[in-house]
Amino acid sequence: MSEGVYVAGAGAIPWGKRPETTQLAMAIEALNAAFLDAGIGWEGIEGLVAASSRFEGGMGWGLHANEILQAVSERAISCINVGGACAAGAIAFNTAYSMIASGQHDSVAVIGAERMPKGFIPRPPGSQDDISDSDFLRWVTMGATNPAYWALEAQRRRYDFGTSDETLARASVLMRSNAAANPYARFRDPLTIEEVLASPMVADPLHLLQICPVSDGAAAVVLGSRKFAEGTGRPLVEVAGCAIGSGQFGDPARRIPTISNTVLEGVAHTSEVTTSVKRAMEMASVDLPDIDVLEMADNTSWHLLAWPELFGFVEPGQSDWMINNGRFAINGDLALNPSGGFLSFGEATTAQAVLQVCELVWQLRGEAVGRQVTGARVGMSAVLGLAGNGGSIVLKR
Amino acid sequence: MTGDMPSTLEAFNPVVEGLMVQTEAGPRLMGTRCLGCHMTYFPSSTTCRNPACGSDTVESTQLSLVGTLYSYTVQHYQPPPLFRNDDWQPYAIGVVEFPEKVRVMGMLSGIALDDIAIGERYVLALSDLVKDADGKQVHTHAFTPESQGTPSE
Repeated sequence: MSEGVYVAGAGAIPWGKRPETTQLAMAIEALNAAFLDAGIGWEGIEGLVAASSRFEGGMGWGLHANEILQAVSERAISCINVGGACAAGAIAFNTAYSMIASGQHDSVAVIGAERMPKGFIPRPPGSQDDISDSDFLRWVTMGATNPAYWALEAQRRRYDFGTSDETLARASVLMRSNAAANPYARFRDPLTIEEVLASPMVADPLHLLQICPVSDGAAAVVLGSRKFAEGTGRPLVEVAGCAIGSGQFGDPARRIPTISNTVLEGVAHTSEVTTSVKRAMEMASVDLPDIDVLEMADNTSWHLLAWPELFGFVEPGQSDWMINNGRFAINGDLALNPSGGFLSFGEATTAQAVLQVCELVWQLRGEAVGRQVTGARVGMSAVLGLAGNGGSIVLKR
Repeated sequence: MTGDMPSTLEAFNPVVEGLMVQTEAGPRLMGTRCLGCHMTYFPSSTTCRNPACGSDTVESTQLSLVGTLYSYTVQHYQPPPLFRNDDWQPYAIGVVEFPEKVRVMGMLSGIALDDIAIGERYVLALSDLVKDADGKQVHTHAFTPESQGTPSE
């Protein structure tokens, strides 16, 4: 039986806009950072799993492990390329975990790297111009942009719980405050509630500074067996749980890019993520109060209120009080995105879930300078990807 | 009647085929109903997605005329070019919940943006998008407050 799987190295590049750098170069830079952290070279890994999306690279298949190795170190090792949209990084992590837990390999690296096109994410090629394609329908029948989907959720929250504009803005303020000392974050200047509410309205009630923009970025981790991790001499960080999930029939969440859903009572909202979180926690044998750090996908400020409730950290509607009273701050009851989250990074799709793991590793090792959660021992990630992809990872020191 | 509502059957010219059907009483959203579990889907589907249902027989169905506004937003930025609208300005998109347990997104029409309220009753309407190559008005499905006086069931 497996003696567990450990994160032996973590590395990332600063998020931003990098028109002069290729996706491939960013991926190599992040991998080199993770290898340096683990004290190994390219010869130290037996496999590479790439989180791929459609935006760039890999002869149209997206970021490609084979392409990376062909550029740097072509050694006939195992290459796997996985999809899963914005959750691809978590799915790649899950794949690498399985490769080691099965005993097949001693060390496998996970890479996510993305250069994003500007503006609203366009419709992918290769679909029919008819009712069989939701993405076609949402554009031609009503022009529903991605922020509109989140705005519909946020507006409903206002109706259900009376969430104020100020509370929704405070979530953005908190992310900027957390990001201030994070060298990997793209937006580090502090924000005030007034500045958030004065930024242009995109889709009521969400302003520009409450919606994550797109960025270029890359992050990598090296996973290894216990023996491999001990060999690096780095503090041991165990993968206590990791899980992926897909959507559950009847889920009330507005799922991009669909224009309709059949809703059943009692089905969890954003079930692909809540299911993943539940499974990862069960696997790790941890309960909610054990979790010191949560790194979750904050595509908008609404997510920062809704997701802690969906996962059960607080009751529905209680996040407003938590955020207004500093309970989600770095040394509050639950440290919510000490990295600064997607709102401070901008989303580099496939790299985002890998970056979440890097941040958890740095937090659990006590290396998160300027944003350290005191005494953090258990960290959890949660991410959502288009088309009903979810993933969650629990790390333990 | 709202200004958005075409007065004759000939005026019915949806931007995409298969979402709506024109009836004597006006347009209706067209979906699919499973004969096994009676779940309803929109848009039309060739399958039943209910994991608790083993049936593979579905039939075409019309959604109820009246639903309840579940949520809404006002889009302040012009969407990408695939959305063609001759008269673009900030507009509302809503989610209307129908008795068939289906929540459908669509533009809201016939109401001032400041007056929209969750929980009110909305009915299907047609909203103008563009003129096609023949100069004929193209419509999309939209929802308008029931109080606007659209024909009831």
